[in-house]
Amino acid sequence: MFDKILIANRGEIACRVIRTARRMGIATVAVYSEADANALHVELADEAVCIGPAPARESYLVADKIIAACKATGAQAVHPGYGFLSENESFCEALEREGIVFIGPKTHAIAAMGDKIASKKLAKEAGVNTIPGWNDPIESPERAVEIARGIGYPVMIKASAGGGGKGLRVAFNDAEAHEGFASCVNEAKNAFNDDRVFIEKFVEEPRHIEIQVLGDAFGKVVYLNERECSIQRRHQKVIEEAPSPFIDADTRRAMGEQAVKLAKAVQYQSAGTVEFVVGRDKSFYFLEMNTRLQVEHPVTELITGLDLVEQMIRVAAGQPLTFDQADVKLDGWAMEARICAEDPARGFLPSVGRLVKYRPPAQSDAVRVDTGVYEGGEVSMHYDSMIAKLICHGRTRDEAIARLRDALDAFVIRGPNHNIAFVSSVLGHERFAAGRFTTAFIAEEYPQGFDPAVAGFEDAPLLLAVAASVHQRYNERASRIVGQMPGHEFRIKPEAVVRLRGVGHFVQLEVEGDDHVVMIDGKPHRLVSDWKVSDPVYRGELDGRPFEVQVERIGLRYRLQHRGVRVDAEVMSPRAAELLARMPVKAAPDMSRFLLSPMPGLLREVSVKPGQAVKAGERLAVIEAMKMENILRAERDGVVEKVSAAAGESLAVDQVILVFAGS
Amino acid sequence: MQDIIRKLDEKREKARLGGGQRRIDAQHARGKLTARERIEVLLDEGSFEEWDMFKEHRCTDFGMADESVPGDGVVTGYGTINGRLVFVFSQDFTVFGGSLSESHAEKICKVMDQAMKVGAPVIGLNDSGGARIQEGVASLGGYAEVFQRNVMASGVIPQISLVMGPCAGGAVYSPSMTDFIFMVRDSSYMFVTGPEVVKTVTHEEVTAEDLGGATTHTTKSGVADLAFENDVDALMYTRRLFNYLPLSNREKPPVRPSTDPTDRLDPSLDTLVPANANQPYDMKELILKIVDDGDFFEIQPDYAKNIVVGFARMEGSTVGIVANQPLVLAGCLDIKSSIKAARFVRFCDAFNIPVITLVDVPGFMPGTAQEYGGIIKHGAKLLYAYAECTVPKVTVITRKAYGGAYDVMSSKHLRGDVNFAWPSAEIAVMGPKGAVEIIFREEKNDPAKITAREAEYREKFANPFIAGKRGFIDDVIMPSETRKRICRSLAMLRDKQIENPWRKHGNIPL
Repeated sequence: MFDKILIANRGEIACRVIRTARRMGIATVAVYSEADANALHVELADEAVCIGPAPARESYLVADKIIAACKATGAQAVHPGYGFLSENESFCEALEREGIVFIGPKTHAIAAMGDKIASKKLAKEAGVNTIPGWNDPIESPERAVEIARGIGYPVMIKASAGGGGKGLRVAFNDAEAHEGFASCVNEAKNAFNDDRVFIEKFVEEPRHIEIQVLGDAFGKVVYLNERECSIQRRHQKVIEEAPSPFIDADTRRAMGEQAVKLAKAVQYQSAGTVEFVVGRDKSFYFLEMNTRLQVEHPVTELITGLDLVEQMIRVAAGQPLTFDQADVKLDGWAMEARICAEDPARGFLPSVGRLVKYRPPAQSDAVRVDTGVYEGGEVSMHYDSMIAKLICHGRTRDEAIARLRDALDAFVIRGPNHNIAFVSSVLGHERFAAGRFTTAFIAEEYPQGFDPAVAGFEDAPLLLAVAASVHQRYNERASRIVGQMPGHEFRIKPEAVVRLRGVGHFVQLEVEGDDHVVMIDGKPHRLVSDWKVSDPVYRGELDGRPFEVQVERIGLRYRLQHRGVRVDAEVMSPRAAELLARMPVKAAPDMSRFLLSPMPGLLREVSVKPGQAVKAGERLAVIEAMKMENILRAERDGVVEKVSAAAGESLAVDQVILVFAGS
Repeated sequence: MQDIIRKLDEKREKARLGGGQRRIDAQHARGKLTARERIEVLLDEGSFEEWDMFKEHRCTDFGMADESVPGDGVVTGYGTINGRLVFVFSQDFTVFGGSLSESHAEKICKVMDQAMKVGAPVIGLNDSGGARIQEGVASLGGYAEVFQRNVMASGVIPQISLVMGPCAGGAVYSPSMTDFIFMVRDSSYMFVTGPEVVKTVTHEEVTAEDLGGATTHTTKSGVADLAFENDVDALMYTRRLFNYLPLSNREKPPVRPSTDPTDRLDPSLDTLVPANANQPYDMKELILKIVDDGDFFEIQPDYAKNIVVGFARMEGSTVGIVANQPLVLAGCLDIKSSIKAARFVRFCDAFNIPVITLVDVPGFMPGTAQEYGGIIKHGAKLLYAYAECTVPKVTVITRKAYGGAYDVMSSKHLRGDVNFAWPSAEIAVMGPKGAVEIIFREEKNDPAKITAREAEYREKFANPFIAGKRGFIDDVIMPSETRKRICRSLAMLRDKQIENPWRKHGNIPL
C-alpha cells in the first residue's frame, strides 16, 4: 500500500479523497492554484504544493507541475478526482515514465474510452447496445448537416473529447445542425484542444442511467448497480439517485452485464462508469464510458456500503477485489443534490463571491455532505460552480427524498446565489415523487428557471407560526431594555397580523412555558423550539412534527426559506396592519428598458450599436464568467438608445450594459 | 355633571376628527396616515397621553374667527416606545393643511420644554403646508420659538423628525436641526423654495419629488437619513432606532441583556481581507459579524457610501460604528463622507455612546472638485469631531491607514482609547507605489529598481508593527477575535472620564 498520495484536484472531490486516504493511514498531498491558497482541500491535506496561477490551464491542467509536485513531496501515486487530468492519457503515460502510480484505469483503457467514436465501435464489438450515428471525422458544417439528415433529426452533436455537458449540442433542423457543429468544434478546441466531433441519433424522452463498474488487476470486474441521473439541466446533472425508480431487476442485470463486458474488453481496472440512455420501453443504448470517479459516486456508496475511493486506491496498489458480484448490496435508497453557486432565477447563471455564511446541515448515517468550501471562503470564477454535494439515504425512495428536503432546509448559504431552493422544489414536484421523468424534466417543468420568491408555498400554518414566534422573540428581547417607565413597562400583546407576501393573516400567540401556542384560523398550533434571535435556522417542532425554516431579518421583514420557497413575512399589531392596508401599493420601477449584467464577469462583446433596432431573441452582448460564454439576448423588439459598458470591461451584477429607447 | 361629561366626550370626538372625515379620506387617498394614526403606530399601544386637545388659534383676521378646530392642527403629548418615555408632536394636515399658527407652535414648544425638564427625546411627525399665512408674523414667531428650542435641546435630548408630508420654506429648519430625519417616498418633500419658484428664478423644471423628495435627500443632499416606502414602515423603524438612544445626555446608553456570547469567535473574518491590496471587500460583513446578534441600524445608508455609520450593540449596550467602506471609492474620505461621519461622531459623543471605528482608508480623495468644494474644511470636521470626542473610542485598522486619513480615523493621537490592528494592516504615509516614487525619485526611470524599492517599502511598512513599536497600536489582533477584544475594551472603558477644557464652545470648521 502507498504511504503518500497526491490529489490532483480541488474542491469537494479533493477533500473527499483526502478523507478516505487519511482513514487508510495514507499521507496526502494537495495541489492548489494561487486562487485556492486558502481552499479547504489545502487545509485538510498533510502537505500542499502551489502549482501556478488561477486559470486551470496554467495549474490544475499542467501535467508537468503535478509530476514535479509528486517528486518534491515523494508522493507515490496520484488520485485525479474527476475533470482536469482524470481522463488524460498523456498524463498517465507521463506518470508511468516517472514511476508514479495513477489511481485509475490503465492508459490503454482511458485511450480506448476517451475517444467517443472509438469507444462506440469497441462497445459494439463487445456486444453492447449502441445507437445509430456517424463516427468518422466531419470536415465542415455543411457535411454535418448532410450527415444529420441521413441519420434523421433530432441529432446530437458532441465533442469526441467532451464530457460533463461541455461541447455538446442538440439540433432539430439544418440551421441548428450548422450552428451547433460550428460552436461545438469551437468549444471542443478551446476546452479540450481536440476539435473532433461526432453526430448521432438523439433519443427523445430519454433517461440517463449509468452503471458503476469496478475492476482489479486480476481481471475481475463487478458492477455496483445503477445510478439514475436523468434530472439534468442542459446536460449537467442536478439530482442523482440509486437505484433508479425506473428499471427492474432484469434490466439492471442486463445493463450491468453489458457494462462488465465492455470493461473487460479493455481490461478495466479501477472504478468506472458506463453511461446508457434508456428509452421508454426500457431499451438501453451505450452512450460512453467515463474512466474516472464520477461526481455522483456517493449514491452508489450509500446503497452498497463500499468506499469507491478506497477501492480505487487498493486496486491501484495491486490488491485484488475482496468480493464478488453476488456480494454487491443494494440497500435502501440514496439521493444526491448538487449544491451549486448559480442563480436559478436568472437562467442558472453562475454566481461567484465570498461565502458570507456557509452552514451545511449536520451529518449522520443518513445525511452526508461532501463539501469543498467553508464560511469565509470564496467561490471563484475560475472553476466549476458546484461547491458541495448533499447525499441522503433512506430505507425507501420517499424517505430518502424527505431526508434530503429536510437537510436542504437546514443548509445555509449566504453570499453567492445558489440552487438549494430549486433542488428542493424539484424534490417536491409530484412528477419527481412519482419517478415519472426524463432528461427533459427540468426544461419541461422549469422553462423559465426558478424563483423561490414567487414559488407557491405548501405549508402556510408553519410559516405563519414561525414568523409569529420569531417576532415574539424579538419583542421579548426589546422588552428587556432598561429605563422603562416604572409601572408602565412594555407588554407584548398576543394578537398580531402576519403578512406573508403582503397578505395578512390574524394570529394569536400565547407563551406556555418555553412553548409558543399560535392560534391560526381558530386552530392552536404548538411550537417547540430553542431558537434564538439571529440563529439562521429556526429548528423546532410544530404540533410534534420536526422542521427547519431559515430566517433572516431584513429591515422590518423576516425572510423565511423552506421547502424551496422564499417568503417575506411582516408581523405587526392588528391596528398597524389595518393602517398599512390603507397605504398605496407602489409599482416596482420599470427596469425593462435596461439590459443589466446578470452576473459578475468580463464583457466580451457588445453586439449592437446605439440607434440600432433589434428583434426579440437577437444577440445583444456576451459575458464571460466561469469559463462559460453567456449570450444575452433581447427579450422583445426595441431600439438601442445607449451602450453604457464597453467590451473588455469587468461587470458587476446588475450593472447597466445598455439602455433601450422608451416606447 | 352628566352634562359636562357628555360635553367632554363631544369635544374629544370633535377634536379627534381633526379637519373632518372628508379631509381624512383625502389624506388616506394621498397615501398618508392621519396625525393620530401615526402616533398609534409609533407608540406602545394605549400609551399616548394627549395634551392641549382643546387648544385653538386666536386669529380673527380673514374670517378665521369662524373657523376653528380644537387642537389647531397638531397633536401633542407623550407616551412610550418599548416602555421608555418619549414626547411627540404630530402635525395634522387635515386641519388648515397642518399650517403652523402661534398656538400650534405653542403646543410644540410645550412638549419640548417638558421633554427638556424630564430628559426625554422628542419625535416630531411633520406634515404641514407651512406658516398660517392669516396669522402673519405671529406664525413666523412661532417657528422661531420652535427653532430656538431645537437648538437648546440639541445634544441634551435626542430629537427625531419624520417628514411625512410637505415641509417647505422656513419649516424645513426645525427638522434640519434635529438629530435624525426620516422621510417617506412619494408623499413627503423638503425644500427651501418649491418647484414654481425654482422655475421662475432659475428656469429649471423639476418635480417636488425630484427637488426635495425622500430619495433626493437620502442619496443626493444628505439632508435626510432614511427613506421609507410608506408611513407605517417609517414609524415602525423609528421604534427600532429609539431603542438605541439614551433618553438624554444625563444617561448612559440603554442596555438590553444580550444572549450573544461576548467571546464569540468568527473564523470567517480571518479571510475577509483579500490578499490583493487593491481588491475591495464589504466592511459591513465585519460590522454584522462582530455586533450583538448581527443587528446594525445604519444611518444614511444611501449617502456617501464610502463611509458606513450606524448603531449597534455590544454586550447589550449601544455603540456607534464608523467604518470606511472599501467597496465604494476604495473607502477614501471625501467631503460628503467626512461630514456624514463627523455629524455621527458628535451625536455619539453628545449622548455618551462609545464609538467603534473600523479603518481601511487609502487617504483623502484628490481632485479639483474636492479642493474647490473645500475638502480641507470639511475633512477637518471629522478630525475635529474625533479629537473633541470624550466617549470611549475603540479603533480597529483592518487594512490601509494611509496619511492624514490615518490620523483622522480615531487614531491614538486623537485620544483613541484602544487601537487595534489586524495583521493585514498597513499604516504608512502613503501606499508603496507613491512613496517609492518620492523617496527614490532619481531611480524613477529604472522600473526594475523601482519594483525592488516598492517591495522593500512594502516589506517595511505594509504591516502593523512599525506603528506597534511606537505604541500607536495597542495590539495586533486576529480578525476572528475582534468581537471579543472590542467587548473587553468597552467593558474596561465603561467608567472612562475625561473632560475638555472649559469654553463657551469650540469653533468647529463649519
